[in-house]
Amino acid sequence: MVDYLYDGSFEGFLTCIYWHYYGEKASGIYPAAQYQPSLFYGFTEVQTEAEKATRVYEAIEKKISAYDLQRIYRVFLSSVENRELLLLNYIRLGFKEGSKTSLLHGNPYVFPVAQAEKKIGAEVHRLYGLLRFSVLEGDILYAVVEPDHDILEFMAEHFSDRYKHDPFILHDKRRGKALVAQGGEWYITAFTEANLPQFSAQEQEYRALWKKYFQTIAIQERTNPTCQKNFMPVRYWKHLTEI
Amino acid sequence: MDSSLMNKLKILADSAKYDVSCSSSGVERKNSGRRGSASNAGICHSWSADGRCISLLKVLFTNKCAYDCQYCTNRRSVDVQRASFEPAELAELTMEFYRRNYIEGLFLSSAVEVSPDYTAERILQCLSMLRYDYGFAGYIHAKIIPGVSQELTHAIGLVADRLSVNIELPTEASLQRLAPQKKAKAIFTPMTQITNTLIQQRSLKGPGTMFKGENLNDSLHYLHPEGKTLVPTAGAQVHLGEGSLYQMSNGGEHALIREPRYKYKEKFCPAGQTTQMIIGAGTETDRQIVKTSESLYRSFKMKRVYFSAYIPISDSPLLPSVFTAPPLTREHRLYQADWLLRFYGFTAEEMFTESEPNLDLELDPKITWALRNIQLFPIEVNKASMEELLRIPGLGTVSALRILRQRKVSAVKYDDLKKMGVVLKRARFFLTCSGKYYGEKELSPEYVRSKVLESDRIKSQLLPPKEDSQLSMFTPGSFRLEAPDSLHPNTPQRRLKTDGGLLI
Repeated sequence: MVDYLYDGSFEGFLTCIYWHYYGEKASGIYPAAQYQPSLFYGFTEVQTEAEKATRVYEAIEKKISAYDLQRIYRVFLSSVENRELLLLNYIRLGFKEGSKTSLLHGNPYVFPVAQAEKKIGAEVHRLYGLLRFSVLEGDILYAVVEPDHDILEFMAEHFSDRYKHDPFILHDKRRGKALVAQGGEWYITAFTEANLPQFSAQEQEYRALWKKYFQTIAIQERTNPTCQKNFMPVRYWKHLTEI
Repeated sequence: MDSSLMNKLKILADSAKYDVSCSSSGVERKNSGRRGSASNAGICHSWSADGRCISLLKVLFTNKCAYDCQYCTNRRSVDVQRASFEPAELAELTMEFYRRNYIEGLFLSSAVEVSPDYTAERILQCLSMLRYDYGFAGYIHAKIIPGVSQELTHAIGLVADRLSVNIELPTEASLQRLAPQKKAKAIFTPMTQITNTLIQQRSLKGPGTMFKGENLNDSLHYLHPEGKTLVPTAGAQVHLGEGSLYQMSNGGEHALIREPRYKYKEKFCPAGQTTQMIIGAGTETDRQIVKTSESLYRSFKMKRVYFSAYIPISDSPLLPSVFTAPPLTREHRLYQADWLLRFYGFTAEEMFTESEPNLDLELDPKITWALRNIQLFPIEVNKASMEELLRIPGLGTVSALRILRQRKVSAVKYDDLKKMGVVLKRARFFLTCSGKYYGEKELSPEYVRSKVLESDRIKSQLLPPKEDSQLSMFTPGSFRLEAPDSLHPNTPQRRLKTDGGLLI
């Protein structure tokens, strides 16, 4: 048994899975950058190899299911603790059980993965709404988010379709990257807010209107901050115009 | 900055906040060279201080009203600030808000300025500008004012995603008393028109899972607007409701009518129609309310019926006093009952007994029903059908589906249930897993009731005071206002004498 260390990429993770089957069994898989040496197991750094990763990728799709492949990818992009280990267990179970894996809701290897997937799905849906664009000079839309999970990729289709007419930048400040889109096409790139254009002339005006609307629409007699916070966790408030 | 726009927005949002509907769901639209899109699931963009979600820019077009409805903030006889949007102004505001991802679209209601047709024309002008000049492909929910002409209703339906006509009050008696200028017939006429147009373009869908798999787009569901089938009078024909409810008949003669087929370039009202009614302004029982909504679902195939707890805003002798707290718990129970109607295969009749015309404020309607029908339980989760599973309190559609799916590959164990999303603190009393019962003691309604209440009490302090504690309106230091839900036999409020002879 040995701890595998990889470069943090999905391909790197899949290469570790490859070595788990064709080399020494894995006791754990960790991104090399954050690894704390363990008392019980040695470790090897795994070189990411596209060919081996592809083999595992295709094996998951064929022997488990396309749905599970997607699920594994989504959970890989989550920030759930020990996600590599959860996924290793899930994949091992998957190669045994095949396409019915995702139906075994009570299985101790399936449940945590399903939970992690739910978390990431919930955040994506929540941010579809809780995202505030500002109009910059030159009619560029710009929004800042600090999501718990690495979800830019999952927001791309929705927003690039919706804002086909306006070029936009969706900046994940926590991870220092951004989704850049124009005319329905998009890519993800490293990003800092340096050299960003100024706000357009009307931006402050519409922000003020939105704030006023937000305050006015609440019914005083029904004030319920607990309910408000349940649906709109305070950690997202920082980047909301209205609060 | 334009302070008049700010002022208008404040006045017209303030007047619209009592409209309950917030949903932006029911229509999927990809961006087809227009601006924006609509998501089938609906997206909430914010949550206001009252905990209700904001997904649409919800405003009135104008609050200059010709009517004098007792429950309304904008009735003619009251002195409030008045304002109206210009069509172009509101269209631009909507567009700019949408672009910044503040909203999913527009919810446009209105008071009746000059006449229903005059107002509707201005609304149509605004919405057409949004759809055609700006190419807006987001969500539009438009309110149809009773009494508006058919042509305008149709034209608005072609630019809106969802239409709604507010029924306002659950019985005609209340409507006559509190909104004498609104007539039941004027409310049903546009509702009928909307349902029929949806049938004509073959896109009528029933609410929730109520009509699952049934074809609703045939002549059998076609409604006749004129007198024959619409009987909004008390007690006459009992088809779907009872007593003083609005009546709709589904007579056999419909089958003979062959209605014309139209081809529509734009889809008419693709997200269907909804309505809303005010709870606690009149003297209706929950049974009457649920039965009214059931008949609205059955006859008009409404997507939703919304309930709005009455918030006292006017000092009318006909209404609860301004010191009355809104009956929020009651509203919540009604929504739960509504869910049972639309998704769980319950009928309104099942939820009530002769002696209890109101929902239990302490327990949800499903568990109340289960306790009354205790002989049907416990249900074995490894054998039960979908319909039976859905009857178990604490078990919803998602967990029921998961149970059915897992059962195909392996038996469901008790420990699995929690992981499937079943709420065991309620469900464990009503089920067995591979023959074993987990409810500790023998299954008796009293025992289960006390156990469930116990766990609920720990979780929240939302319950009304116990029966034996005197309502302390004026006890020093504990001044609190309680809803005069005099209709609920279990609450102490029924001892409260209301002046003006208004409730009971």
